[in-house]
Parts: sequence; structure tokens; C-alpha cells
Amino acid sequence: MITKQVKAIAVGILASLLIVGQGWAADVKIGIMVPTTGSEATAGKDMENAIKLAVDEINKSGGVLGKNIVTITGDDGCDPQMATAAASKLVSNDVVGVVGGYCSGATLPTLKIYGDAGIPFVVAAANSTKLIDANPGTAFQINSTGFDQVNSAVALFKEKGVKKLAIVNQGDGYSEDLARLTKEKWTGMGNEVVAYAVVNKGEQDQSSLVTLIKSKRPDAVFWTAYYSDGALLIKQLRQAGYHKLIAVGDGSNSPKLLEIAGKAAEGVYCFSNPTADYLPAAGDFIKNYKARYHQAPDAYGPLAYDGMKLMADAITRAGSTDKAAIVKALKETKDFNGITGAISFTDKNTLAKSNFVVLIARGGKWMLNK
Amino acid sequence: MSNLDIILQQLANGLILGSFYALVALGYTMVYGIIKLLNFAHGDLYMVGGFVGFLVLSLISGLMGSSWAGILCSMVFSMLAVGLLGVIIQRIAYVPMLRAPRLSILITALAVSMVLSNGVMAITDGEYLAFNTDLGYEGLDLGNVFISYTQLVLVVSASLLMIILYLFVHKTLYGKAMRAIAIDQDACRLMGINVNRIIALTFFIGSSLAAAAGVMAGVYYGSLHFFMGFVIGLKAFTAAVIGGIGSIPGAMLGGLVLGLLEAFGTQIPFIGSEWKDVFSFGLLILLLIFKPTGLLGKTEIERM
Amino acid sequence: MAGSSRLTSVSDWLRPQQNRMIVLLVLAGVAMLIPLVVNNYVLEVLTNAWFYTILCLGLNIVVGYAGLLDLGYAAFFAVGAYTTGILTSKFGVNFWLTIPVAVSCSMLAGLIIGGPTLRLRSDYLAIVTLGFGEIVRIIARNLDITGGASGLIGIDRPSIFGLELSRGIHFYYVFLLLAILACFVSYRLQNSRLGRAWQYVREDEDAAEAMGIGRVAVKLYAYVIGAMFGGVAGCFFAVKMTAISPETFTFSQSVLILLGVVLGGMGKIPGVIIGAFALVLFPEVFRGLGSMRMLIFGIVMLVIMLYRPEGIWPQKQREM
Repeated sequence: MITKQVKAIAVGILASLLIVGQGWAADVKIGIMVPTTGSEATAGKDMENAIKLAVDEINKSGGVLGKNIVTITGDDGCDPQMATAAASKLVSNDVVGVVGGYCSGATLPTLKIYGDAGIPFVVAAANSTKLIDANPGTAFQINSTGFDQVNSAVALFKEKGVKKLAIVNQGDGYSEDLARLTKEKWTGMGNEVVAYAVVNKGEQDQSSLVTLIKSKRPDAVFWTAYYSDGALLIKQLRQAGYHKLIAVGDGSNSPKLLEIAGKAAEGVYCFSNPTADYLPAAGDFIKNYKARYHQAPDAYGPLAYDGMKLMADAITRAGSTDKAAIVKALKETKDFNGITGAISFTDKNTLAKSNFVVLIARGGKWMLNK
Repeated sequence: MSNLDIILQQLANGLILGSFYALVALGYTMVYGIIKLLNFAHGDLYMVGGFVGFLVLSLISGLMGSSWAGILCSMVFSMLAVGLLGVIIQRIAYVPMLRAPRLSILITALAVSMVLSNGVMAITDGEYLAFNTDLGYEGLDLGNVFISYTQLVLVVSASLLMIILYLFVHKTLYGKAMRAIAIDQDACRLMGINVNRIIALTFFIGSSLAAAAGVMAGVYYGSLHFFMGFVIGLKAFTAAVIGGIGSIPGAMLGGLVLGLLEAFGTQIPFIGSEWKDVFSFGLLILLLIFKPTGLLGKTEIERM
Repeated sequence: MAGSSRLTSVSDWLRPQQNRMIVLLVLAGVAMLIPLVVNNYVLEVLTNAWFYTILCLGLNIVVGYAGLLDLGYAAFFAVGAYTTGILTSKFGVNFWLTIPVAVSCSMLAGLIIGGPTLRLRSDYLAIVTLGFGEIVRIIARNLDITGGASGLIGIDRPSIFGLELSRGIHFYYVFLLLAILACFVSYRLQNSRLGRAWQYVREDEDAAEAMGIGRVAVKLYAYVIGAMFGGVAGCFFAVKMTAISPETFTFSQSVLILLGVVLGGMGKIPGVIIGAFALVLFPEVFRGLGSMRMLIFGIVMLVIMLYRPEGIWPQKQREM
């Protein structure tokens, strides 16, 4: 009786695992790796939606190599441990390529897993510069990297006549990376960084830091991390009577920042990857996305959409679903015409031409800075 | 800004932050003083308080506006609601555990904290909420030192709450019963004190003070998040230990001391903001090792 | 109740040593052969489960055996992972040589934090360990040698007898063997002189002291041995992931490990293994519940503490 029970339980567990692990037959199988649970689930689901939209369009116009594309999603949960499980899941389902990658920290350990399996990976959103060093040669970053954002930022500060800069990050991989690169570039140009500080995630009171920053009299404050704590910093800086330039990085590109910071956010600059609202070529994408999902695409939808289209294009150019051939085709991509702009790669598989835009907060909305 | 201005401004920052810490630390200290329970869920009650206040304010803002009248009303409501929540938690989770080993009751408290914070996370989808009010940025400009009216009102109301609490504990019969239970529960029972009711009352007061702090934080900082109770819970516990856990004036003093330490800690070169938490946790550990009774706590010998 | 009588019958059947050995052997056989029939994904999940088994067994020594609440266990795991990570990626040291260093470092960390604090009341100890866990994470985040907030990347995969450990199946066996080793060590400790001293201190500290058991020394042993388990798990974690960052070693990670220990039953090896598996399998099987995961875990933990503080695994009949 007991052995029966144990057996039943064991069979049950195994069966449920096997069902999760099963895949489809035939067709061209593409993996989607995004966080569909956890703190970043909203962004991840948006990317998944955009990719599926692209797949439908491709299939409707005949698929690739005469076959339909099917997708399978691996949830990385924005967590390195979950991400390795998700990557193994996609690999064991024999996908010919993977599109996705939102959190840099979670994407990082998966590069090697895909690399070992020779699977081409179009990284749509994650853009920490650490990814460049960890790339085994099979990953392709279609979002501008931290270096490009630093260039946009430094150009803006120059244009606005900034001499003394204060940089604040949040002590996580993404924002520290951006802060450090900006500091190196800015001091390398012979300018001064008067304050370089960290705000601990979730800490609401930043008044002592604000006082410190104010006492150093910077001409600009650059917040390199996410919108939630960024909004608090902006609010407290303005309340304390700091009236000069404030700029925020692409992690802060959210309407929530404007909502939380309220009128304090007026005139704040934001460097951003191209979101749908500012892309002339994205009209159809927005329309189709809204029609299908009954909501507007989020920040990384267009890049995810382009990533999928690029993958299909590479498979067509490779003329087969051989992984090495697809990697080669991706590498040879020349001015692929995506809705986020033309995509070509450098010898390090990063985007050749920056697609960063500068936004400014006006009347509670982000506008393109002209 | 001259050096004196910086010192004065940081003094003001530290006092404001410290009064938040003190309000939350009071709840820790009261509960600990009376039943020797480290209530991990206390920081989460602060967070829930903020959310309840937000909910009430958005419901009544049509009637009373989202200025001071509305804020006061939502704060009172949130204090009552979260006070009740505290009593319910005590009844469901802590009463059955009072005779259990200390390890079990600590894990229970941790579980309550998980349920509260993740429950709010599930409800809010993990999103940040913007707590918008009509309060302006005006304030007192004393040379280079600036204190907004909002900050003034918050500090004054925090002090008022603490004074009321002090008078309650030291001048009323209920307060006397609380102090008596902290000394010897069994003797109190023999003297005819309804011990369970007084313990519930303690939870009610402690929780509602945390809720008051939560609403104030929401109003002052302008955003709410399910995780906001964690950091302040730790800091407030540190404050309670600095002051001497179990001592009510100690919690107030500890809050202010920690607030000031953090404000001036930011200003020290080479420590900087990234090491700030190492600084305060390190202080906590050293304090627990070398002076576990804190600044105002009494030495007590007891079984563990 | 039918459920409880069934459980009793299970535990009755399990009482003779012989029957227990049969079950153990069958389970070990299944664990050894499973990689032959499942795909990479299942393998990865199961590897993760064995990995958590090691961590939970390590924490179990502190929490279950000695009755001390440790809320910063991830710190020891971090010390092990970072020591190996730094030595292999920055100094090119052979992985196998880093293990003794990493284990010594995490044991040292256990000594440093345990030495002065184990005299404290148990709730103070909980907070001290929490603070210590945060300090370790922040130090890892702020230093250059630990790779700052982005952590270390490019940690080399080790090889053994010319075979590079790189595929999922390799790590499955590595972690399975480590977990079996951890079980064995736990089992031997449980029934040793030290194990009985832990139990005594846990049940009644003063009486234990009066009987001549040095309570601080005994607790310190628990701490350092627990840290050792964490250190070993950390070493292999670093080479399996090839990249580590401070985000892995948060307070939530410590709570998760504690959860595994409490869920199955503190102080009971089979219970702790079940707890570790529940921890890892639950989110994979019930993916739809994603954001509710920790809420459900919290509720389960609360219910267990209130109604069945001995955990899922049935209580031992043989009490001392």
C-alpha cells in the first residue's frame, strides 16, 4: 500500500515535470526568454506580446523557409537562478534561436548556456556592458548599450554648459554600470564629478544625500537607476531648492516617475531607448498591438518585435535552420530595417548605431526633446 | 552653503527622519516590553498603514479634498484599521504561541511579515503607487536652511503622538497595568488584571502608531510600495535597541539618534552613502554585543 | 482522520532499520537514474533542488539542531561563492584548490559573527544575523574585487580527470553527491555526542549548562558547521552559474532557505529534503501563481507553525 502511494506521488511529480518540458514537433521553434513573473513581469509580458505579434505577422505572410514559426516561453523571473532553468528549458526543447532578455543580471548567466548549445540569441532589451564581455559570440544585442547612453548623456550635459556633475545610482548592476561609465567619460573629458553616490533600494528618505549634493553645487544631477526611487530623489531635490538640470537614465523612462514626482519632474531629461511613441515607423505596430492586446505597448515592445523580425530575416538569409548558419547570418546583418531604426552589428555583436533618444518631461508627459 | 548651513540642514533632516524611526520604534519597544516578542511584522504594519491611508484619502478626497483635513481624516482611519489588524494578528498568530519555544514564535512573526508584505504585493501587482496630495512646497527659509511646512507639521504631529502615548502609559490606569505586566505577568493575573486585554491594547497602540508613521511617510515622500516596511522596520528596530528595548523614552531617543547619525554619516568622506547601511547595522551589532541594554534600558537578568 | 492514520502506518512501516534502508536505496537509485530519462530542463530544476537541499541541511544544523534562528544564512553561501569566484577568475587558481580556502573562509565568517553574538538572547541573535547578512551583501556590492554591483563573470568551469564539468548532467551528479554527503554528515552529527548536546541546549539551555555543557561552544560548533555547508554549496554554485552577483545573496534568499527547513520539519533530515524540493518545484509546477508564490509560502509557513510546528514529516517516535 505504501509503495503504491509513493509510486503514485513519484509518477505524478515526474509527469507534471515532463508535461511542462514537452515541446512541439516540426515547424521552426523559437524560444522567448523574458520575465513573466516577479517584479519585472509587466515589462516581460509586454515583450512576449510584441514577439508573438511579430510571429503572427511572419506566419501570415508565409512563415520562414515555408514553415510556420512557433514559440515557447522560458520565464527568467529577472533572477539569475530562474534564468538558467529557463535557458535549459529552451535548449532542451531544441529551439533554433532565442529572442528576449530583459534584466541584464538574469540574462548574463544564460549567454554561456546558449553559447554552449550554439543557439543564436537576440538580446532585445538587456544592455549592461557586462554582457559584451560575457558574450560567447552567439548573442546579438539590438538595444543600444550603456556606452551609447553615456554618449547621449555627455552630449546633453555639454550642450547645456554643465561643468560640475553629480551622479547617483542604486547599487545594482545596471545603474552602477551606467554611473561608472558616465563618471569615467566625464572626468576623462577634463570635467568634474563633484558627487558620486548610492541610494539604497527602497529607502525613502534621501534628504541627507540631497543636502550633500546641494552643498557641492553641481550644474546637473544624473540619476542612473529606476523610476521609483528616482522620482523620490527628484522630488526631494526640487523641494530642497535645487533648480538646475536633472537627467535620468533609461530605467526611469516611465510615466510612473512623472506621476510620483508630480510637478517636481517638470523639465527633467530622460535618455531612452526608442519606445513606440517616438518612432515614426511604429504606427502600424502600435495599432496592431492595441487591437490584439487592448493596451498600448510598453517601453521594450518595439525592440522585442524587431528582435523577432530580425531572427526570422536571419533564418531566411541563412536558408536553413542550422544554428551556426543563423549565427553567421545575424553577424552579417546589414541595415536591417526595423521599426526602431536600422540594425547592423559591430564586431562585438552590439548595435552599430545608437538608437537612443532624449526625452523631456512637459506637463506631466514625456516629450521628444528638440 | 557654508559649513554651518550644512550642519544645520543635516540636523533638520536627521530630526525629521528620526521622528519617523521613533514612531515605528515605539511599537517594537512596547510589544517587546510587554510580551518579549520581536514582532517582525511591525514594519509591514507601517506599510499597510500607508496603503490604507492612501485608499481612504482617494475615497474621501472628493468630500474633503486631499489637503490637511483629508489627510488627518485618513490618518485617523488608518490608525484605527491597522490597530485592529495588529490585534487580530496578535489573536491569531501570537496568542497560541506564547508558551511555545522562542524560536517558534520568531518564525511565526517572520511568517506574518511575509504574508502581509506579499499579500499587499499580490493586491498591488508589485507596482509603486503615487500618493498625491495638494500640499505645496512652501516652507520656512532660514538663510540656507529650508524646512517645508509639511515637514514641520509631520514633526509636530509625531511629537504630539509621542507625548500622548507617554502620558497614557504613565498617567492612566491602563498604562499602569501595561507597565505592571511587563514586570510580572503572572502576578498581574493574580491581582485581577485582564492580561490578555492589556496585551491586545498594547498591540493596538503600537500598530496604530506604525500606521500613523506610514500615512505620514506616504504624504511626505509621495509613493507607496509593498516593500517599504522592510527597511524602516530594520532601522526602527535598531533605534529601539539604541534607546534600550522595552523603554518608551528610549525608543524616542533612539529614533532621533539614529536619524541624526544617518544624516551626518552621509556627510563623512570615504564612508559615503554606499556604506551607510553597513555603518548602521555594524553599530547595531556592536551595541548588542557590548551594551545590549541600550542608552536608557534597564539591566535585567532573565532566562532565555 | 484517514490522513493521519495513513501517516502513522507509513511511519510504523518505516520504523525497522531494514525497511528504512530499502526506501533509502530505492530513492538513491531513482535519483541516480533520473537523468537518463528526463530532459535538460527537468534536470536543471532537480539540480537546483539538490542545491537547496545542501543549503537547507546546513541551515538545519543551526536552526533545527541547535535551535538558533539565523536570518542571514545567505551570507555564508555568498562567502563560499565569492571566494571561489575571485580566486578562479582573478587569480587563475584551480577550482579544486579553492574549495578548502572557500570553506575555511565561510567557517571563519561563522566564527567571527558567531563568536561574540552567541551569548545574546535568541531574538537579538536573529537580528544580528540579519544585519550580518546585509553587511556581507553590501560589502560584495561595494568592493572592486567582488566585481561591484554587477558581480563576477567568466568563472571557469572545473574539470575532473580530464572531463570538463559543463553540461547540466554533470552538475546534477555533482549536486546529488554533495547532497548525499550532506545527508550523511547531518545524520552522523544528529546521533553524535555533539548532536545530543545541541538537543539539550535547544530544549533547556540552563539545565544543559548546569550539566556541564558549554553552551556557547556548542552553539558555535553548530554555527561553524552550518557555515561550512553553505560554503561548499557556494563554491559549486559559482562554477555552475559562471557568474555571481550580490542580488543572489539577499535577505529573501536567507528567508527562502529557512522556509525549506521549517516547511518539512526542523531537525529532521527527510523533512528538510522535502522542504527543499517543495521550495524549488512549487514555482516551476505552478507557474501561473508566479507573483503569489511568496504569499502562499508565507501562509503555509504560518499554518505550519500554528498547527503543526514539527513540520510535514511525522514526528519521531523515539524521543529522548
